[in-house]
Amino acid sequence: MKEELKAIERILVDIKSISKEELNNMLKSLFTKISNHIDNYIGDYPTFIEPVYLEGNVEIGDDVLLGPNVYIGANVKIGDYVELSNTIIFDDVILGNNLKLENCIIAPNSHLNFENFKCNSTILSGKADSEKNLTKLSF
Amino acid sequence: MIDKHIIFFGWRIIIFTLKFIYSTYQFELIMPNNNEEEISRIKELESINLSSDEIRDSVVYTKKQVEKENELLASKINLDLKNNQIKSFDIVGAIGAGKTEIISQIVDKVQKKYRTLVICGDITTRVDADRIEAHNAETVQINTGRECALNAYHIHQIIKNKDLQNYDLLFIENVGNLICPSDFILGTDKRIVVVSTTEGEWVIEKHPMLFKMSDIAVINKIDLKERLGTDIEKMIADAKKLNPKIEVVTTSAKTGTNIEKLISIMGL
Ligand SMILES: Nc1nc2c(ncn2[C@@H]2O[C@H](COP(=O)(O)OP(=O)(O)O)[C@@H](O)[C@H]2O)c(=O)[nH]1
Ligand SMILES: [Mg+2]
Repeated sequence: MKEELKAIERILVDIKSISKEELNNMLKSLFTKISNHIDNYIGDYPTFIEPVYLEGNVEIGDDVLLGPNVYIGANVKIGDYVELSNTIIFDDVILGNNLKLENCIIAPNSHLNFENFKCNSTILSGKADSEKNLTKLSF
Repeated sequence: MIDKHIIFFGWRIIIFTLKFIYSTYQFELIMPNNNEEEISRIKELESINLSSDEIRDSVVYTKKQVEKENELLASKINLDLKNNQIKSFDIVGAIGAGKTEIISQIVDKVQKKYRTLVICGDITTRVDADRIEAHNAETVQINTGRECALNAYHIHQIIKNKDLQNYDLLFIENVGNLICPSDFILGTDKRIVVVSTTEGEWVIEKHPMLFKMSDIAVINKIDLKERLGTDIEKMIADAKKLNPKIEVVTTSAKTGTNIEKLISIMGL
């Protein structure tokens, strides 16, 4: 799993080096390798559909649904009513309330400091107080 | 404690409904028969009375919408399963009635004939999934956290990510209790409700909804019948009275009594 994640993280730096199809395939192959690791979160009993892998110091809000096929890096803060499936979140990310992300990649250090946003098959990055100010690249 | 639970569950329904509030499309419901009408009337009673007059109408509306969304998704699930010739069962029942043990026994006996996927619902842990996996079935655990039943959305999220051609049989072990699972059908061909002799002979008459909505009732742990003095005939009569169409089978998942019979009633 770690190797696949590293490869995807490297691609984020030079995203044009890869086709959409290749990226989708990389994600698919990562999802088959995600093992379930969910006992270490900070928060109040979210819903998990396995597999979900949580690194250390992940804070989860109320009424959150994670999975299937979710990887969450270290020091990530997830707001209330968030729903993630087929999605990878790299380290040090903040997600606001009521975000629904499906088949997305959130780059390291991204801050999605806003609420009520839905997104499919997109790479999201940047520190933004509004959805419009986020860097988005759909795939 | 119970009051707190009811209030809490009321809020859960409202919160759950918000996830679907943007949906605008309507669809025709099949004309309900008397039993279905009764079930929907009972459903409307709960949780609505917690809403103040100002929000009452929108709560009623949203709740109905969510119920429709669940039914719509359940029909989609059923179609997907049927298109892939997968037989499917939703197994409900109280904590400790023997759902996991019964599934394990069945999986053991049919594993040469069917490639089986078992989805296990529990508020936390993957204890049951691990127990079933030891009998050579693929499992997926859903931890519902604070929700007391699985819903069609959970199941759809799993099956849309699976290649359904790899399976012939699907079991869903619902979260253990005899109340909440009646709110959400999951799109399986059949629902099996499991109770056991240790729950006392009144358990069926006290939980009519799930018996009305199930196809098969299993009265488990009959190996303990003598010791406990449970009136099994009353339990069978209660189930039949609530739902004349229900098939009732008494089993012991411990000794294996009537597990083969259950398998044949299930049409496996
Ligand atoms: N004596 C007896 N014990 C049983 C029977 N079926 C299950 N059990 C035991 O009852 C406990 C709860 O069973 P389990 O399958 O986990 O129940 P679940 O919560 O409905 O899934 C376990 O210790 C089982 O071994 C049975 O038919 N007879
Ligand atoms: Mg169980």
